[in-house]
Amino acid sequence: MIQYQTTPGSPEAVANAPTVDIRTPMALTSIAAAPEAVVLRTADESQDTMISVRDVSKIYVVSKEMIVPAVQEVSLDVVRGEFVVITGRSGSGKTTLLHVIAGLTQPTSGEVYLDGIEVWRLPDAEQSLLRNQRIGFVFQFPSLMPSLTALENVVLPTMFGDDDARHDAQERAVQLLHDVGLADKLHAYPRQLSGGQQQRVVIARSLINQPDLILADEPTSDLDELTEQEIMHLFRDVHARSGVTILLVTHSLHLGAFGTRAIRMKGGRIVDSDD
Amino acid sequence: MRLTQLAARNIAGSSFRSWIVFFCAALMAGFVISSTLVVRGANTSLRLALERLGADIIVIPSGNEERLESAVLMGIPAHMWMDQAIVDRVRQVPGVAAASPQLYLATLRGAICCSVPEMFLIAYDPDTDFTLRPWLEKNLEGELALGQSVGGAFVFVPVDLAGLEVYGYQLDMVGNLDATGTGLDQSMFFTFDTAHEIARLSPEQAVKKLDIPPHTVSSVLVKVHPDADAHAVATQIAAAISGVTPLETNNLFQGQRTQILSLLNSVVVLLGITWLLAMALVAVVFAIAVNERRREIGVLRALGARRTTVLQSLLIEAGLLAVAGSLVGVVVVTLAVHLFRNLIIGMMGVPFLFPGIPQLLLLGLGAVALVLLSVLAAALLPTFRISVQDPALAMRE
Repeated sequence: MIQYQTTPGSPEAVANAPTVDIRTPMALTSIAAAPEAVVLRTADESQDTMISVRDVSKIYVVSKEMIVPAVQEVSLDVVRGEFVVITGRSGSGKTTLLHVIAGLTQPTSGEVYLDGIEVWRLPDAEQSLLRNQRIGFVFQFPSLMPSLTALENVVLPTMFGDDDARHDAQERAVQLLHDVGLADKLHAYPRQLSGGQQQRVVIARSLINQPDLILADEPTSDLDELTEQEIMHLFRDVHARSGVTILLVTHSLHLGAFGTRAIRMKGGRIVDSDD
Repeated sequence: MRLTQLAARNIAGSSFRSWIVFFCAALMAGFVISSTLVVRGANTSLRLALERLGADIIVIPSGNEERLESAVLMGIPAHMWMDQAIVDRVRQVPGVAAASPQLYLATLRGAICCSVPEMFLIAYDPDTDFTLRPWLEKNLEGELALGQSVGGAFVFVPVDLAGLEVYGYQLDMVGNLDATGTGLDQSMFFTFDTAHEIARLSPEQAVKKLDIPPHTVSSVLVKVHPDADAHAVATQIAAAISGVTPLETNNLFQGQRTQILSLLNSVVVLLGITWLLAMALVAVVFAIAVNERRREIGVLRALGARRTTVLQSLLIEAGLLAVAGSLVGVVVVTLAVHLFRNLIIGMMGVPFLFPGIPQLLLLGLGAVALVLLSVLAAALLPTFRISVQDPALAMRE
């Protein structure tokens, strides 16, 4: 039986919190008593679930006549250290699911837990800090700030964290750019870099705060086949070296082979999972 | 990297938009500082001119009202004479506390002494004077001796000369009065004795004789009793003495005051329109800017920027542009007003006093602060809307 702890957010409080079965009335009472963020942590350490998506739906109301169910009652668990590749055609809901997990778009219903923290019950400041400290993002579109150099782009996320994050940020960024093969492009602006090089900078940026989780949204969609392979190998290297959990969505079915688990989505639902 | 640096980079990265906001800020600040300098300066000028006259009523020969105003305001010499006996008759009018005569003279046209074509010269009676006396007592601890003079704020003795020569008579200038911004700043003051001495020696020392008709004065400055009504006293003077006009100093410069008021009205209307248009333009520019940068802002949110951080960053951009633009506007326009001061005075027909450095700094800072607040207010709505938008939606659009 999976058990959870319930407690308002601080680390000390989490550590000292009582363990309760989430499916019991007692847990619900505890949640109701905590008006702010509630931390739900799995008590089953062997499971070590990092991401837990529970019955998540996301419906876009475009107009009275047009309602788009982008994600429908999806449940998913991702264990720490997994490299999960979610594939599906355009409009299958994979990007929306990724955004819901990241706290970038609110689900219409359902819950998302990241290491037991219910993402959508956190206030904006804490949700932002969670994204900043624990999640690294790689997007399908060019997401570097055009007015900043490669090095400055990599350092950028540390600006939104605490002072500790800013400590040695410059040195870490240089090392990361070196690791992704761009040691000679530190001071290049995005317009001076190729698409593949830009994505490498983005990957370096996603690692600057040493996150537990990398969320990659179609990171190779704009790249040629060769560069796509390079980028995917880079993801695999990062995963192998750091053990970071990666959740990558792509419309290319063949890229599923790069992950430790592949999931297929269609019409907003998970239709196939090889776990 | 700090938010300010990020904002500065973004400004540099979108130069066209930045220039528009910069230009709007410069325009707003320039407009507000120029109108404040001129309107406020003109008001100050008139007030100081009246204070310099130091009288409640000025009695002059009838028909010379406009010439007196021109003399005081623009430094255009006025020649007017009336019988010296009028001074005593004025003194006898009930309510008059003090009456002191003055002589209005002028240097020769194009005299080497002066940068103005004719300098307005004012001779006063040291025995009865109450207008210059306070200044003399405070600054010179005594009266002006024969041959001594006090100049307006802008009267200087060239370094290679011992004094200023008037009708060939060497005047020893012993001090300068404070600036009023009026013609009085380019005038000189000395005693009756000095005036008559200049006139006496002028046939031998000057190319033209200085004529002071015997037993005449140009005006009588009147101070009324504290409990008397200046208007009632003026009415009594007019009734008791024919051929003179008693001018209440509070009513002096009515034409100029009306002109300043109408200028102020026009400025307020123009300023209002310019301000609204500039704010609307800034709001539109920011709405376009944040719309174009929707995805960029979504990425910032994904990287961990809070809503307030995004808002702060965009407002810092607006603020930096507002401060830079308004500073440039203030400096450029202030220099322009200073350089073209005479042209503006000529066009307006009203003098204005340029404020001192501390006041100027304060006015400049006020203008910058006003523009900063306005630009921030204009930029607030579009930036707020983008900062609260769903980051995923922002990135998709």
